[in-house]
Amino acid sequence: MKIRTEQFVEIAREEMKNTRSKAFLGLLPPVINAMRQISLATFPDPDAAQAYGAAIRGEVVTRLPELLEEFERNATARGTKVVWARTAAEANAFVLDLAKKKGVAYVTKGKSMLSEEIGLNDALIDNGVDAIETDLGEFIIQLLKRPPFHLIGPAVNIAVEEIRDLFMEKGILAEPTEDPVALGYAARLYLRDKFHRLEMGVTGVNMAVAETGTIVNVENEGNIRFAKSSPRTQVSIMSLEKVVPTMADALHMIRLLCRNGTGQKMASYISFDTGPRAAGEIDGPEEVYCVIVDNGRADLYDDPVARDVFRCIRCGACANICPVYTKIGGYPYGWAYTGPMGQLLTPLLLGFSGTSDLFRACTLCGVCKSVCPAGVDHPRMLLYYRARDAAGDPRLRSRGRPLKERTLYDLFAWGATHPRLWRQGAKRMRPRVNRGARDGYLSRSVEPLDGWFRSRDLPEMAEKTFHERWKEREGHKAKA
Amino acid sequence: MPYAAREDILGKLKKADRREEAPARPPLPPLTEVGWGTEQLIEKFTENLALQTGVVHRVADRAGALEKLTEIAQAEGWKAVMIATDEVLAPLDLAAWGRTNGIDVLKAADFTARDAFKDAVFDQVDAGITGVDWAVAETGTVALVHDERQPRLVSLAPILHVVVVPVDRILPVYEQALERILAARGGMPAHLNLITGPSMTADIQATPFKGMHGPRRVIALLIG
Repeated sequence: MKIRTEQFVEIAREEMKNTRSKAFLGLLPPVINAMRQISLATFPDPDAAQAYGAAIRGEVVTRLPELLEEFERNATARGTKVVWARTAAEANAFVLDLAKKKGVAYVTKGKSMLSEEIGLNDALIDNGVDAIETDLGEFIIQLLKRPPFHLIGPAVNIAVEEIRDLFMEKGILAEPTEDPVALGYAARLYLRDKFHRLEMGVTGVNMAVAETGTIVNVENEGNIRFAKSSPRTQVSIMSLEKVVPTMADALHMIRLLCRNGTGQKMASYISFDTGPRAAGEIDGPEEVYCVIVDNGRADLYDDPVARDVFRCIRCGACANICPVYTKIGGYPYGWAYTGPMGQLLTPLLLGFSGTSDLFRACTLCGVCKSVCPAGVDHPRMLLYYRARDAAGDPRLRSRGRPLKERTLYDLFAWGATHPRLWRQGAKRMRPRVNRGARDGYLSRSVEPLDGWFRSRDLPEMAEKTFHERWKEREGHKAKA
Repeated sequence: MPYAAREDILGKLKKADRREEAPARPPLPPLTEVGWGTEQLIEKFTENLALQTGVVHRVADRAGALEKLTEIAQAEGWKAVMIATDEVLAPLDLAAWGRTNGIDVLKAADFTARDAFKDAVFDQVDAGITGVDWAVAETGTVALVHDERQPRLVSLAPILHVVVVPVDRILPVYEQALERILAARGGMPAHLNLITGPSMTADIQATPFKGMHGPRRVIALLIG
């Protein structure tokens, strides 16, 4: 997938004019939010349940290396082959090499954000192994070569007419129809044959349980179950933060993930793999590989603020309620991760230069934090990113701010910390600044502040400064 | 993959400054379901599965279950079914039932190779019939442990999944089902599924529909 995060502002502007996107954003997120509320209310104490989820994820972040070792030990003991990959290239090379060794013509893909992050599909397809997305939404956007519109419903905004034409063109549909159910059924029949002949399935991982070495997947469609049932080889790829301490923790997080993600109390299928198939099983994988992918995360782990992003469980609750996401949709984020979680994760993974619009496109209202079942403090992290970016932190691959902006703020900081100069300056600047005022407000765009004035006004500078008024007042008092 | 990758990643993680300890866990939040009695468990299981469009029939005993199954088979026009051979289904003797009703009752043991089994379960049967290891009232969920008696594809590939649930196997919450599975098997089984209703999606225009890849319908026969 081509990364388009640098065009955040342009794409956001286009999308806000897109009537179809607008219609969906007006409809879908509020419905999911309402379902989320209703399903959370089935907990006797929803706040306590959310807080317990946050505590589990906080513990995972603190104990990450030990939990990964424990997972590896227990998974390996049960016959899962655990593989570590430092980079996207290492992870992709491993899966490609395995597919070549097994001589498979294609693999089916279960929905995995990590695989989009590392570009696994392209790596396989470019080297002669077809990679077929099997989650219906992912299947459609793969054929259309589009980024996800929404974390859970990546193609939910695509018009039925467009899907009809696409399916006709690809020979998936025999008779044209605009019925969403008939279109889905056509995809079922097409993909069913792929599952039937499948020799290697690739899936993501929702949770990896350290205590038992178990891989957990949460889904509604059954495509992941097929990838774990039909082929001889199963490959599950996970980013390293997916681990949880115990099976009890996993069950609690499953309850939270379903409620926060889709507003369901429970997804249709939760599958747990602990090693390859048991003796005597006629189906199920003979080999299970679990690829633990770092892709830059371990370097961030030393940063106590940035590493809090590893709490995230990819439920997408933050996006459905975000006042920015619900206006612009998923495309402007330009990559695999949409909404507030994308605003946190993408800059860390891709570096700050080229992604800084993401952490600035936020009013810090904090509604994302209020719904997060993993305890992510989005506003704190976004403020931290802005500060590190202003400082040009090379570890976060920030180029710093433009020279003009930096000079202006340096000058401001210098003036503001020299009271006498500040008072003198204010006196001299006042008539000049106020010359541009209309009805007591400054709204003129002045370089380099034109961006700031685009959506804001400033009241004109007062006749007298606070200090001057205070001095006068004290003077009057002394006379009296 | 070079072994160095593992050492590199874990090395970096372990080197990091982790003086900021995670705060202690709050108490585990309570679950109301734990207090439910037998009739309430049956009622809630039924209610929750029905919410997912699952159809639930309650019968008094095994004879009643077979009778119901015959009714379903006739209504659906079954010619062949694939069955599990778990301890819930075994006493029903579905092979004999199939002979009486003119229905091919297939099971994994009839096939020597994976591919032949796959051909049958994908293309030649009208339904998959399984028992359960446990059922969970919390969400109308059935827990299936997959092994020799419980092939993975029986509850997945056919368009209809009929699941036979003795009512004494319905438990309040997932934790209790897992506890019993761990105790019986001395650890996690190779493959466990928690199944709640049919396969579904809402990926086109947010229009929900059942039977995306797996069964379009789930019918539960409660015995007892």
